[in-house]
Amino acid sequence: MNWRRGLALTVAFLILVVLHYTIRPLLGWRTPIDFLVIGVLLLSVRIRPGGAAFLGFLTGLVSDSLTPATLGAGALAMSVVGFTASWLRAVIFADNVVLHAFFFFVGKWAFDLIYIIVARGAPPMELLVQGAIWSPLSAALTAAAGVFVMLAYRMGLDPQHA
Amino acid sequence: MARAVRASSRADTVVLVACVVTSGLFTILPSVARDQVAGVLRRTVVQPVLALQRTAERGRNAIVERETLTRRLDSLTLGTARLTDLELENERLRRMVGLGAAMRTGFVVAEVVHTQSLGDEHTVTLTAGANSGVTPRSIVVAPDGVVGMVTTVDPTSSLAILWTHPDFRVSAQSVGSNVLGIVRPHAGAEGERYLLELTGVAFRDSLNPGTLIVSSGLGGRYPTGIPVGTVIGEIKSSEGWARTYVVRPAVKPQDVTTVMIVQPERLGVGVASLWPKPVDTVRRVVSDSALAADRARRAAAVAKADSLVNARLQVRDTPPTTIIPRRPP
Repeated sequence: MNWRRGLALTVAFLILVVLHYTIRPLLGWRTPIDFLVIGVLLLSVRIRPGGAAFLGFLTGLVSDSLTPATLGAGALAMSVVGFTASWLRAVIFADNVVLHAFFFFVGKWAFDLIYIIVARGAPPMELLVQGAIWSPLSAALTAAAGVFVMLAYRMGLDPQHA
Repeated sequence: MARAVRASSRADTVVLVACVVTSGLFTILPSVARDQVAGVLRRTVVQPVLALQRTAERGRNAIVERETLTRRLDSLTLGTARLTDLELENERLRRMVGLGAAMRTGFVVAEVVHTQSLGDEHTVTLTAGANSGVTPRSIVVAPDGVVGMVTTVDPTSSLAILWTHPDFRVSAQSVGSNVLGIVRPHAGAEGERYLLELTGVAFRDSLNPGTLIVSSGLGGRYPTGIPVGTVIGEIKSSEGWARTYVVRPAVKPQDVTTVMIVQPERLGVGVASLWPKPVDTVRRVVSDSALAADRARRAAAVAKADSLVNARLQVRDTPPTTIIPRRPP
């Protein structure tokens, strides 16, 4: 990865962080789009698994700082998701939009499930509903947004495609 | 090469394990320590995104509350528009209650139903009838004065003519000078339709504008002392031996919502003391006219002073003129 590509990825990631803290509260949906997960996945597939895990850890920690009761849960979930995404990408993934959508969907759902298990902040039934209903819906929206972001990144920022 | 890849993969795993262990440690920290760590992050690296989030939340709240605020504003506007009417009605009802308390017995309170049918605008329906003790030809009054008379009585309702009805008559007198006459509706043009006129005033008597006219008690139907209206001015009449005055009625028909029907047995006791004393009324009229005169004098003085100042300013602003000698022819 050359420096121009690295800069483009960094800018894209920062834009996604800003979107996460502006668009998400503004929409206020019950199933929010997770721009942080999109950002971590977008970078993870382009860096080594260790770097992806560390990036996920830092991003999750930033996210957790706003909810001190579950500090560490988001960091742990994001580390695992980042590492796995990077490792899977290196092993099997091709450059396909549908596969990317599925990738974002699974990434977000996995993040939510790990977060729910580690945080353990609600009654079991509520956690089950969250993990089985709301999380997949949120993951679907995140997947749609992720594909859109990926295409926009390729057309606008990625030096290889621009 | 293979060794390098293995070493790299091992390093990635070590980083992952380190991240997971650190995160796990954070989750099991005491809440105080967790708050401290989160607080440090919020005050440093997270502060910009926190500010962004706060702004976004505020924006969302503004969007969500806009509709509620608009609805509330509409309700307030509507409420404000109705407030004046309610204040007037409240004032009328208070006076009605005061009149009822003073009268004590011998009256029936009724609401007025304006039928508004064409050609029948001088008649109203009252929500009290024979069951409540209403009898035909009972007089109908309001806190301001005479309203009319009951003509037809049903068990639960009754019909009454207003003072605007062509058949309405009441024997009246002026307060203070005791000038007698008969009050009847004024048959004027559209604008003067809701006025009364005091007819049959002896030619030797004259009344000043603002004089209060009350019922005189002659004829036995309307007892002495119920306000009928105030004199506006004299009009020319064909009767050379008597004067006729236009009277502004004490009660406006469109404002009447609640009235009192005075029962015949109450008329024997007298009702003159229930309304404001004529002396007070005369004094109020006099003081009102004095105030108006004073206000007019003051306005005239101000206008005069203004014109003087303007004249001086004009003189100062005008450039000096030079007289050009006329050319010889």
